[in-house]
Amino acid sequence: MQTYYPLFTAIPLAAAFLNLLLSKISMKVSDYIAFLVTGILSVMAVRMLFEAPFTYAVGNWRAPFGIMLVSDGLSSLMLVVICVISLLSVIFSTKYMTMYTAKPKYYSLFLLMIAGMNGVVITGDMFNLYVFLEIASIASYALVGFGTGKKELEASFKYLVLGGVASAAVLFGIAFLYAITGTLNMPDLAQQLEVIGMTKTVGFVVALFIMGFGLKASIVPFHAWLPDAHPSAPAPISAMLSGVLIKALGVYTIMRIMFNIFGKNELISAIIMFLGALSMVIGGLLAIGQKDFKRMLAYSSISQMGYVLVAIGLALKPGAELVVASLALIGGLFHLVNHAVFKSLLFLSSGAVEYRTGTRDLEKLGGLMKKMPVTGSACAIGSLSIAGIPPFNGFWSKLIIILALFRGGYWIYGSVGVVVGFITLIYFVMLQKEVLFGKLPDSLSNIREAPFAMVMPLVVLAALCLAMGIGYMAVEGHLLDPAANALLDKVAYMNYLVGG
Amino acid sequence: MHELLYVIVMPAVMGAVTLFFPKKARLPAGIIALISSVWMFIKTVKLFGLGESEYFRTVFTMGDVFQFDFALRLYGFNSFVLLFIAMFGALIILYSIGYWFKDRETPGIYYTYILWTLSAAACAVLSDNLLLLLICWEVLTLLLYLLVNMGGEGHETAAQKCFTILGFSDAAMFLGVIIIWLVYGTLSISSLSISTGTTTGVIAFLLLFTGAIAKAGAMPLHSWVPAMAKPTPAPTMAFLPASLDKLLGIYLLARISLDIFSIRTGSGLSLMMMIVGAGTVLFAVLVALVQHDLKKLLSFHAVSQVGYMVLGVGSGIPVAIVGGLFHMLNHAIYKCGLFLSAGVIEKRVGTTDLEELGGLAKLMPITFLTTIVVAMSISGVPPFNGFVSKWLVYQGLLQAGGYYVIFLIVAIFGSALTLASFVKVLHSVFLGRRQEKFDGVREAGFAMQVPMIFLAILCIIFGIYARLPLEKFITPSVAGSTGVSMQEMAVRTASGYWNPVAATVLMAVGLIVGLIIYAFGRTRRVRIDENVWIGGNILDNEEMRIPGTHFYKTVTDDLNPAWTALFKDGQEGAMDVYNIWGRIGFSVVQVLRSLHNGILSTYLSWVIIGLGALTFVLMFAL
Repeated sequence: MQTYYPLFTAIPLAAAFLNLLLSKISMKVSDYIAFLVTGILSVMAVRMLFEAPFTYAVGNWRAPFGIMLVSDGLSSLMLVVICVISLLSVIFSTKYMTMYTAKPKYYSLFLLMIAGMNGVVITGDMFNLYVFLEIASIASYALVGFGTGKKELEASFKYLVLGGVASAAVLFGIAFLYAITGTLNMPDLAQQLEVIGMTKTVGFVVALFIMGFGLKASIVPFHAWLPDAHPSAPAPISAMLSGVLIKALGVYTIMRIMFNIFGKNELISAIIMFLGALSMVIGGLLAIGQKDFKRMLAYSSISQMGYVLVAIGLALKPGAELVVASLALIGGLFHLVNHAVFKSLLFLSSGAVEYRTGTRDLEKLGGLMKKMPVTGSACAIGSLSIAGIPPFNGFWSKLIIILALFRGGYWIYGSVGVVVGFITLIYFVMLQKEVLFGKLPDSLSNIREAPFAMVMPLVVLAALCLAMGIGYMAVEGHLLDPAANALLDKVAYMNYLVGG
Repeated sequence: MHELLYVIVMPAVMGAVTLFFPKKARLPAGIIALISSVWMFIKTVKLFGLGESEYFRTVFTMGDVFQFDFALRLYGFNSFVLLFIAMFGALIILYSIGYWFKDRETPGIYYTYILWTLSAAACAVLSDNLLLLLICWEVLTLLLYLLVNMGGEGHETAAQKCFTILGFSDAAMFLGVIIIWLVYGTLSISSLSISTGTTTGVIAFLLLFTGAIAKAGAMPLHSWVPAMAKPTPAPTMAFLPASLDKLLGIYLLARISLDIFSIRTGSGLSLMMMIVGAGTVLFAVLVALVQHDLKKLLSFHAVSQVGYMVLGVGSGIPVAIVGGLFHMLNHAIYKCGLFLSAGVIEKRVGTTDLEELGGLAKLMPITFLTTIVVAMSISGVPPFNGFVSKWLVYQGLLQAGGYYVIFLIVAIFGSALTLASFVKVLHSVFLGRRQEKFDGVREAGFAMQVPMIFLAILCIIFGIYARLPLEKFITPSVAGSTGVSMQEMAVRTASGYWNPVAATVLMAVGLIVGLIIYAFGRTRRVRIDENVWIGGNILDNEEMRIPGTHFYKTVTDDLNPAWTALFKDGQEGAMDVYNIWGRIGFSVVQVLRSLHNGILSTYLSWVIIGLGALTFVLMFAL
């Protein structure tokens, strides 16, 4: 597997261009290309879970000079999340995207986005990370506006402007880092910064990064683009954006940079925890009373990412016991994976509902459980998971995060976590009431269940929600522990420089 | 398989089996469910005979910090609760088979939910681990929500309310469990003994207390019970809020206030619980008096009666605790019976509106008789079981004396109002004049009659031979929990017993004499029904129906205006915490929403200000 590591970006990147060419011959071909590529990537990603950590020097250039790719528990975890959710979204798209024109272009942008996200996750080079970040971001700006309606374009434009500001901040930060240390290699940066310590310049860089990557992760107060952008995109893209993109570009980068490059720090920990708690509360409150199916889901993404960030912040605290830090990280990572599963499930089911009913307005929906039992049940399972109802997966990840917060002495943040869990329950029960139960409006009396290509991913994701809840032990052992250890062991990360 | 696991796993598996039955096969699904629940009942009888048993298995540990144990413990108290849970399960499933017999809309998944509820309830009762208990509690909430969602018109709003209120109480319990884990280092119920002298102890108790009373349906977290009453089919009402949730809620209340925290008589928390109890008794019964819908009326009584249990258990006086727990059992029996009767009316007549009903006694003699028995029981009329348990609570309060007399008065007053309310029910449903369109109404089928008759007989047995359940089920559990020895307990409770046999004989004689006189009157035809004649017009009897709904209008209309206004508000839900918090929360959300005005420059300024603040903090605090 080691020699194939760059293929995680190379394959989708190549396929994105090839797809445009081949689709000139036949439009049908792009469905197969996208399916094949994401399928292969998923298989590769799952196999990566069983690899020991390694580094890969691109073009055999030695580490500090050439670009280095790093594979460890965290990047493997992220690869699995990205590739599997992509595969399911592609399967969903084959039917769903018939509502739009220019399917081949859609798939090319989709593949470009995957290439970008995979690149961010596997790279060990700061500038390389920025390049991939931009590839994924630009593809996502285009995808948000893919419907080319008034609202879509407005949302896309807002996203583009705010995302551009964030990218500029990130680039600015990288430039500062390069000026101080003279290197862009991430393990090397970690070593250099160990010597330099937290100077004012480094502090400014941290501020730029928290803002830049935080905007991609939609932390309050940098969240405002998300409730417009995520609902405007086609449903499989909303699922990718909320389920994967904000994690790969935002949360993953924050984790990687804060843990492995800057190292544990009291102040950074306090800031991230505070912003995380703020996101949790504000996102949750705003989700109540939304009338648009996808908009409600978008706000809830902000809120749920807050949980992950609070957990990350706790683990970043230098004074925290190691057991607490690893508990927090396991909880945070588990919630990240869970959120990828149930949020993409929910966005896809919103897509299935829109596909059949033609609306996302909660007031115009109702009683769909009877007409679309599979979609309805999957949507119900997704919303119960995210609301933290046992035995589904969301319960366990929230439990672990809250346990860690209390054990770490953060009673207030812990209680906020419980309260926001209740708020989440409120709006998802509201969602279920408006969409799944109650009286079927007369205008929808002759709708049918969604087609197989759309129902299949929903069933897989719903099964995952249940399986990851009940089989928590397996998930922890194979996915979470290696990832958490990779983050907590800064020295090992610095040593990749020698290994590469 | 371990004998304790059996009663949890078997219904869960059988529930999963019935899940795959299509709509048309609801009868076989029902029969499978019935067999499973009867089998479960037999198992619980065996477990009850066994007395004590334990099961322990660590499911997972997380880095030496946290450990989740699947710990079950069977002992005197929960073995009888378990027994009755299984009994109600079997009865309800039998009844449901009759109830859904011709209904094409109800899928087999109904039985799945009932069986899963049984499984989760068994696990909750047996659990010796607070987290396991909490998980079962939440699963029960979820299943309740799903069952309510199978109901008729308006079910979605009711289901939302149920899940929100119970979700709130579950969140409170969650917080309580975590605090206990953090401060006391263990989640094992049997090894916990927490003093309520400390602030954390009090907070933890209040949080768990919230979970218990919300499930049982005491004020102020009661409003989900009346909300679900109308749209939810009667078997579900009879199963969950009427019987199972009472057993579970009061079981938990007893566990926390007697075992984990050992609340003492006269302490602040005890007083708080008694106020909650007495308040629930009084206010809920007042609202119940003026209800127009049979199921809604019953649901307010289901709230009101919880008051006696909370009052009894919360007082900390052994006799009153015995009374409270016995009342839990009795209430489950008669309230289940009442809802089953309501179910017959609902099914056969098609409405539970008290204005519409009337004169059904002749058409439904069995239902009428069983309803009289359970209605008398709930009103606390001797010699039925409700009287005995209320009597024990009164005795306990009397023993304590002092200001406890206030609670006693409230409790007795509540009981009187309950009787008044059921006089209205009996009149408006079974007596009075029948509307002609209901002339063809039939009596309940066999499958529906059996559970009703069974429950009515239990009401009589537990009333006349009250020593039997008291000594078999309840006194041993309380004696173990309060640290009072069995013998002393027996002596203390004996003072609360009354001798029912002589009184029963006297009452029976009185009734027979009355019947003879009545029968004698009938043969002589003392009374002849004639149409009413007013001002030269002969009015049809139909127009002269007197529905029972006007019986207690004085409560709402003719009293002091301040009181009536308050009362109206209360009935329309202004005093419902759910609505109050809903309004407060919504106004906060509105403020936040108005900030998100969709203008790019606003959003951009947030980003810039955010970056500025971050820079300031990071550059000048480092």
